Amino acid sequence: MIDNITAMKRKNILACISVKRICLFCMSVLLLLNTAACGMRKPVRYEATFLQLFDTKTTIIAYTNDKEEFAAHSRLIYDTLSEYHQLYDIYNSYEGINNLKTVNDNAGRAPVKVDRRIIDLLKFSKQWHDKTDGKVNVAYGAVLRIWHDYRQRGMNDPDSAELPPVDMLAEAARHTDINRIIINEAESTVYLADPEMSIDVGAIAKGYATEQASRIAMEAGFTSGLISVGGNVRAIGSKNAQGHPWNVGIQNPETGEKLPDLHILDIMDASLVTSGIYERYYTVDGIDYHHIIDPDTLFPSTDYKSVSILCRDSGMADALSTAVFNMDIDQAVEFIEGLPEVEGFWVLKNGGFRYTSHFEDYIREP
Amino acid sequence: MKFFKKTDIIAIAAIIAAAAAIWLIYSQAASGRPVKAEIYYYSQLVETVELAAGREKVFSVPQDDDVVLRIDANGSIQFIESDCPDKVCIKTGRIHLAGQSAACLPNGIVVKIVPADGWNGDEPDIIIGSGGKQTGSAQ
Repeated sequence: MIDNITAMKRKNILACISVKRICLFCMSVLLLLNTAACGMRKPVRYEATFLQLFDTKTTIIAYTNDKEEFAAHSRLIYDTLSEYHQLYDIYNSYEGINNLKTVNDNAGRAPVKVDRRIIDLLKFSKQWHDKTDGKVNVAYGAVLRIWHDYRQRGMNDPDSAELPPVDMLAEAARHTDINRIIINEAESTVYLADPEMSIDVGAIAKGYATEQASRIAMEAGFTSGLISVGGNVRAIGSKNAQGHPWNVGIQNPETGEKLPDLHILDIMDASLVTSGIYERYYTVDGIDYHHIIDPDTLFPSTDYKSVSILCRDSGMADALSTAVFNMDIDQAVEFIEGLPEVEGFWVLKNGGFRYTSHFEDYIREP
Repeated sequence: MKFFKKTDIIAIAAIIAAAAAIWLIYSQAASGRPVKAEIYYYSQLVETVELAAGREKVFSVPQDDDVVLRIDANGSIQFIESDCPDKVCIKTGRIHLAGQSAACLPNGIVVKIVPADGWNGDEPDIIIGSGGKQTGSAQ
């Protein structure tokens, strides 16, 4: 009996010790983890924002070992984007540079000698114009300028905001033939053969420039980072050495349906572009008119609240997001499904939403 | 015959309770970590405000009182007035999630939402898109 009690006590003591051991073990593991974290030099998150490029907000994010490393990369990206911005600007002139404004100013007059980067952009734009059956057209300047002017006036003085007359738009639409942008690669010139036409690369230039700046930065050793130029997000590599993807959120417009407020996408070496109607619009008689103009109706497209395109190339994502904005939903989904490694997500204006078959694969589990 | 002593049970219960408490704290932190808004004037951080529910505030940065920001009782922040031509800043609407931002380009003002206790790598790195039209005094 006494022996039994002693045995039990011993067991209890053992149980006590084992509990203590487990506690100690857990604590030491935690301590180890902490010291491990302190011992390694952990990359720090840096973020830079610029307001001078492409009339929008540019953000660069990366985890680097120190501030100098980040500053060197973000300086290169900023400088590159800045050069593209000047070349693709249709509103301002820069000393010593023939840009797209120079090309527009010389419409019907003379070919303009331009930088290779202008020719590359125009060739890229023509290619996507043809692939999308003209749903994204950089020769649409004459029509877009009218909308731009009416929008500006309408925003400055909302009470007298009005719509452009239909016949004015129809007349301008006669001067939007992309084949009358004459590119001479040997001479490195661009000539607009119709004096009434003008180039507007608003639907493509940001994404295209983002892609080129990303590639230049990657060649210079920027192996991990995020570049966002006004919602054109390009993810380079993964977030950290462990290979975690970048997490890019898309805030969804209200639909009244079972769409979460936020989709968080896991992406690596990919671009995400969202085109929405909520930031650039003006209101006439209680109706909002946004900035994406359908070439078939000459009016803002009315089908969507937002369109998101996910693919590797940021220029392609930008061009496609505008092009499918101007297609009806079935046509749009079918068109994106027909392109390899491109996914799309549409929030419809009349409620509801659609994904291409693999878009949801990128959505992070909540 | 008891296998455990009372004190052991208490010790185990205490450990389980501590674990539960820690788990609760972590899961709470993961779902709704506190955020703050950083307000920049031409790349310079000029103001940091906590975004906590129930604390309303209407204010401007000292550099530009033509631009007015408002923190709502629900813990979101938005531009409500600006003398800029396009009003894109106001149209961006309310923001409240780490990774979101709003900007008034012509006036050089940017509002960024960041985690109050620093980035832990688990938040969205950036959030794009817009929640759509939201009611605000200036809409």
